[in-house]
Amino acid sequence: MPGNNVVERVRSLVLAFLDTDLVRLRIERDGGHVELRRRASSRPVAAESPEPQAQAAAPQNVDAIRSDLVGIFRFSRPLPVTGDLIDSDRELAYVEALGIRNPVRSLGPGRLVSVCCDDGKPVEYGQTLFEIQRV
Amino acid sequence: MFKKVLIANRGEIALRINRACRELGVKTVAIFSEPDRESLHVRHANEAFCVGPGPVARSYLSIPNIISTALITQCDAVHPGYGFLAENARFAQICADHGLTFIGPSPEVIATMGDKATAKRVMREAKVDTTPGTDILESVDKARRAARDLGYPVLLKATAGGGGKGMRVVTGPDELERAFNNAQNEAEASFKDGRLYMEKLIVSPRHIEVQVLGDNFGNIVILGERDCSVQKPSHQKLIEEAPAANLPEKARKSLHAMALRAAEAVHYTNAGTLEFLVSGDRVYFMEMNTRIQVEHPVTEMVYNIDLVKEQIRIAAGEALGYTQGDLRPRGHAIECRINAEDSNNNFAPAAGTLTNVVFPGGPGIRVDTHIYSGATVPPFYDSMLAKIVAFGETREAAIARMERALRETVIEGVNTTIQMCLEVLATDAFVSGHYAIDFLPGLLRQADAA
Repeated sequence: MPGNNVVERVRSLVLAFLDTDLVRLRIERDGGHVELRRRASSRPVAAESPEPQAQAAAPQNVDAIRSDLVGIFRFSRPLPVTGDLIDSDRELAYVEALGIRNPVRSLGPGRLVSVCCDDGKPVEYGQTLFEIQRV
Repeated sequence: MFKKVLIANRGEIALRINRACRELGVKTVAIFSEPDRESLHVRHANEAFCVGPGPVARSYLSIPNIISTALITQCDAVHPGYGFLAENARFAQICADHGLTFIGPSPEVIATMGDKATAKRVMREAKVDTTPGTDILESVDKARRAARDLGYPVLLKATAGGGGKGMRVVTGPDELERAFNNAQNEAEASFKDGRLYMEKLIVSPRHIEVQVLGDNFGNIVILGERDCSVQKPSHQKLIEEAPAANLPEKARKSLHAMALRAAEAVHYTNAGTLEFLVSGDRVYFMEMNTRIQVEHPVTEMVYNIDLVKEQIRIAAGEALGYTQGDLRPRGHAIECRINAEDSNNNFAPAAGTLTNVVFPGGPGIRVDTHIYSGATVPPFYDSMLAKIVAFGETREAAIARMERALRETVIEGVNTTIQMCLEVLATDAFVSGHYAIDFLPGLLRQADAA
């Protein structure tokens, strides 16, 4: 039944949403939309079980990919997206400095856990550009 | 006038340049190394970019990162300060190639005057007296023959040198080979240029320098002299004063005339300093520094002029707004360099956290510094923490004021040169104004013997 199908799909969506750190998710389709918001109290709070939870939440074995020069940050193609599995040493972006395209590489395989810079923005030496969880 | 200037330096001179820019309505971009992230020059600039890690070769000397910073922040000029890239002709040329105005003289003049041996040849051609000496010495054997011709004692100097680096006194033939090798290695390590030349050592001279300013329209003025004879055994300056005390009028006229001739000979633009050795009435050109000097504040105090603003105005294409006749010095100024050094241990540099910092104030006192309570002194850089400058209507008044200011100063956490400066100010030689470059080394030997 269509109604049950929608409920199942929303239920799946909620479960998937709860597995993320997102605070708001909105999906629009065919003139309708569904929006999920996380209430502050719905997240585990530090007071309940402070350190073990914090440790469990923090991704382990994460490498920061930093800029080793000053320039303008540009994403490479395909666009790197949080959650991407990187199977080898992939070019994620480049820093344009003095007209030279300086590649920023993943320095090995892993899962991209964060993209820390916006396309077209200036970056400085040592600035974190990506975080990669080594697997 | 420029819209935005990148300050390619750190420490007190970066702050000094930032102040001049702000007062001229020019925005600033600071560069910094990772250990300097909390520095005052970073906080006070309009924008700031980290250009590398602690070691200078990868940060304050990183030309690609510095130029890239200037371009992405849309600067139209670069002020190099002193040290680092200030006398690097290639850097000045690269700035020009990227459409950035280098606040200093042209790359050609920097190259000519920065190469000490070439500079001396150019000066001789301009009828400026130089110490008897040689061109570049390719080998120890050539150095040995040159020393025999000149007569010992002689001085070996790095042609790319400065700050006493790559310099050795040789009193006899037995010392020559070792001194040559040591000076060459030191010069190679410091300047990536180990070439040496030799000068006849003028025994017990005074080190007196003359400030010049030139614009792009051929106007050049002299802003008097500074006596920088209070030098550590490493030939680094500790105390400077303007004007020079007890300088025979003949020597002063000769100094100023030679400085003007020298600056005119190379069509000098922007701020520069000609360093001379003075022995009695005799004046010998030593070298030219094509940049702002550490000790420029003493000149500013007696001429009531802002040399850094003048540098910026000149580079922006403005003409000097005055002639030599308009410039009248007044009073006397003394500068003490407060370094993080142990003066009881051969001025060994110190690094650490400054737990308490209190600077002096009151009439006639100027403090140029980048430090504050809680700041860290990294091990990578020059050990200078502050310059305390005292002005007085007379030299005696300036000395009294400086002594008072040094006693008010508190810097805890590292050893400093404050006590050493106080001891120098109390000597008969300094008070009477009769001292030469061997004065401080002699004072230290006496203290060691006592």
